[in-house]
Amino acid sequence: MTDKTVVIFGSGVAGLSAALELAQFDISIKIIEKSDFTGGHAIRFACKATDKCVKCGACLVEDKLDQALRNSRIKILTGSRIESISKTERYAIRLNQKPKYIDAQKCTACGVCLEKCPQDGAIIQGASRNHSPFFAINEKECRYLVDQSCSQCQEACPEKAIALDAPAGQVDCEADAIVWATGFSLFNPQNKPYGYGVFKNIVTNMELEDILRREGGVIRPSDGQSARKIAFIQCVGSRDAKLDHLWCSKICCGSALRMAELINARQPESEISFFYIDVQTFGRDFVPFYRRVQEEVRMIRAIPGDIFETPEGQLRVTYITGETYETTEEIFDCVVLSVGLQPCEENLEMARQLNLKVSDSGFLIPSEIAGEASNNGVFNAGAVGGPMGIAESIASAGETSLKVLKYIGF
Amino acid sequence: MAHLTGKTLLIGNGACARRIAEDILTQTSDLIIASTGESFGLSTRPASMATAEEGAKIFTRTKVHSCRGTVGDFKVLLECNGEKRTAAVEKVILAEDEKRISGFSSYGLTRTAKVMALSQLGELLHELSEDSSPISGIKTVVFLVGIDTESNSVIFEEIMQACLKLQAVQKLKIYILTKNLKVAANGLEKLYRDTRDAGVIYIKFTHTPPDIIQLADGSVCIEFTDEITGSILKLAADLTIVEEKIVPSDYSTDLSRIFELEKDLNGFSQGDNVHRLTVFTNRKGILVAGAARGVQSLPDQFVDADNAVLSLRNIEKQPADQIAGKAQIENGKCARCLTCYRLCPYRAIQVNTRVSIAPAACEGCGICLAECPRDAISLVDQTQATDSGVPVTEVIRPAGESFIPSITAFCCSRSAASAAQLSACMGKKLPRGYQIVEVPCGGSVSLSQILTAFNSNADGVMILTCHEGNCHSEVGPRHAQQRVEQIREHFRSIGLEDGRLVKKTLASNMGVEFAGTLVEFENQLLAMGPIRSKSEKE
Repeated sequence: MTDKTVVIFGSGVAGLSAALELAQFDISIKIIEKSDFTGGHAIRFACKATDKCVKCGACLVEDKLDQALRNSRIKILTGSRIESISKTERYAIRLNQKPKYIDAQKCTACGVCLEKCPQDGAIIQGASRNHSPFFAINEKECRYLVDQSCSQCQEACPEKAIALDAPAGQVDCEADAIVWATGFSLFNPQNKPYGYGVFKNIVTNMELEDILRREGGVIRPSDGQSARKIAFIQCVGSRDAKLDHLWCSKICCGSALRMAELINARQPESEISFFYIDVQTFGRDFVPFYRRVQEEVRMIRAIPGDIFETPEGQLRVTYITGETYETTEEIFDCVVLSVGLQPCEENLEMARQLNLKVSDSGFLIPSEIAGEASNNGVFNAGAVGGPMGIAESIASAGETSLKVLKYIGF
Repeated sequence: MAHLTGKTLLIGNGACARRIAEDILTQTSDLIIASTGESFGLSTRPASMATAEEGAKIFTRTKVHSCRGTVGDFKVLLECNGEKRTAAVEKVILAEDEKRISGFSSYGLTRTAKVMALSQLGELLHELSEDSSPISGIKTVVFLVGIDTESNSVIFEEIMQACLKLQAVQKLKIYILTKNLKVAANGLEKLYRDTRDAGVIYIKFTHTPPDIIQLADGSVCIEFTDEITGSILKLAADLTIVEEKIVPSDYSTDLSRIFELEKDLNGFSQGDNVHRLTVFTNRKGILVAGAARGVQSLPDQFVDADNAVLSLRNIEKQPADQIAGKAQIENGKCARCLTCYRLCPYRAIQVNTRVSIAPAACEGCGICLAECPRDAISLVDQTQATDSGVPVTEVIRPAGESFIPSITAFCCSRSAASAAQLSACMGKKLPRGYQIVEVPCGGSVSLSQILTAFNSNADGVMILTCHEGNCHSEVGPRHAQQRVEQIREHFRSIGLEDGRLVKKTLASNMGVEFAGTLVEFENQLLAMGPIRSKSEKE
């Protein structure tokens, strides 16, 4: 083992990939994850294979998390955020850790806590078998943590694994280099005229990934019934000059059309419409895939206007197409918004602390492109530098790992 | 014949290959470069290349003729102007450049002074600068891209850059005609807006493709329905630029054959399998980067180059003699039938005086041992199931219940075994009598393993493999399917329900589907009742 340590912020696919690459060189790795669960956004993605793999890459995240947890050189700290960071010889990082409300050693993932909890969203479920504990307490929703009015989960836990008054922690660590792999945030579509957050049956593509993963099919959130008429609306918060979002999020065409194909295979009675500006090329087999999907999915080149709910709880969507040159109104059971990838708010603050550059769009610029004369040992990997899918994030992590190796003199 | 030895052989002559070479040469000069070009053209001379003797061995106008061996010990035959050289190398990197095929024929056009391919325009623009005199006689330029078949962001970026450059030289009317504008690459949406600001007009077709007619003077006239207004418009182009398709070079195709590599459906030298990301192939020690593995922009090719260098360093880190989990042929049992040689997806079987398995090239999938007619192959230190090791299912029957089916599920360790754990975490309902036998690959489950499971009290047996196209060894699900069909046929002939043996596909993150698949199977077995042999016993 060498005495070199690299701290990686973010345990998504880029952070995990970089950790695995660097650990091969006997470097100690600490992955710092702010949320309760490892694996980033992509750990919640559904496998979109029908009978054949469609190369979405979602399984790779599970794979990498598995490998990282089994690697003795890699330590992962969840629920941790930076308190301070400074550099003398090495980086000194102080982290604040969220209280460990659920004891990972004791929790058997039986799910009694979730059953007992009276507050929606106060107990969140993991997505991977590698999420241990498999449940987490949402501090914003938990009644005990808000006003101590409820501790049913703690009392009900058969393993006595829950302690709602657990103390917060603080951890110090040192690093020879830092990899910034905190990924992206999702565009919040509440300000678009689609009624997201008001009408229950409007979900984002990311929420649909989660629904497919949990339920194995599309259900309407309002009543749990299977949805038949489903609309995907693309480019919500991407390619949008009004928002100053002058980028394509890259992943949504592939994600939406692959999900559409999966839904068609699992729920043959479904009718899927796909509202788009341009269909992007994804995957090596795009040409045959696109030919096939055009027969299964109704492709409509239009971005709809307002959406309203009918008295029956369905959704009325208005749009204009070039096919008829007229406005059309149509009723759907469920509308999926393909929300864009956008920079995390923390990018600016981190850039200030670590002397990094941020582009006009808000994504981090790699230091060598930013024209830094001397690299200070901070690198970025994955979607923190711009929208990226799983394959590209893995490649980006590889590229970054080589830079890190060179920087620390390997 | 001249002999060479070196650690790494790099094949290629483009920007990606140069980047890889320059990077490797900063650390070591132990590199052989085989380039088909007139010169390789390293742009920098790294410190390690201080003298010619110490520098990399660069062979230009050189092609690979054949290759034998496995990682750590490849014997490559190089051919240069009829002269042959053998090279013994540990690792190989393929970084050949792409080939471009112009799309004239798909638009029914022929090349004239007024119709040119995208690369041709590129060459023309390369010579132009902002103070060049305008190209005479040209007012309207039309780009045809992605109308006949879908294009990609690499071609679109070239087109958009060309538009900006043209506009900088002279004021033109530029039209880009397409079906889907491809902007899924860094900075492309912004570039698209810039071209629009520079006056470029985009015309997109959804339902009605345009009529493209080449006139007698060689110019092109296009008639189309405007999809916003519905009116019919006509466009006369002084210059028409036709898109190009990016395909692997002919030599790249040869290399795939020589090195026995999987190809994707476009012919690039990397199987379309997520487990090959980023620069890996089905063969250990052979890496593929840049345009040799797919359609990629130059920045992406450089990312590939860095990944190749990193993976190269990684391979050096791995102990070559590690044999745990690898297949091994037992001395004295092998009859030299070469079944394993034919089956191995990783080309890890070496045929010399004896047939042996190169541990460094073996991935431990066990496909060879499932088919070995002499049972001569085993996985070293394998704790997972073997023929005799299929545990007997004991189902404890609660009082009052007459029949609980006992299920043995062979689960691929890369997929279904993980899915099984996830379904337990998610608290999904599972059958009451089932057991999981974890196997390295669905293709490693032999006929006798399946029959042993039935002999050990199973009412039903499942083989749960990765999805086709996701199997690390690529062929596992197909082998599993073949064996299942073989036994099912046998079952039918002896009057046993063939539904007692099924093969299904799952991914590691399919917790819900794992439970669903097992419960569905349990229900089918419930309908069938206990397996005959067992009921007879009772």
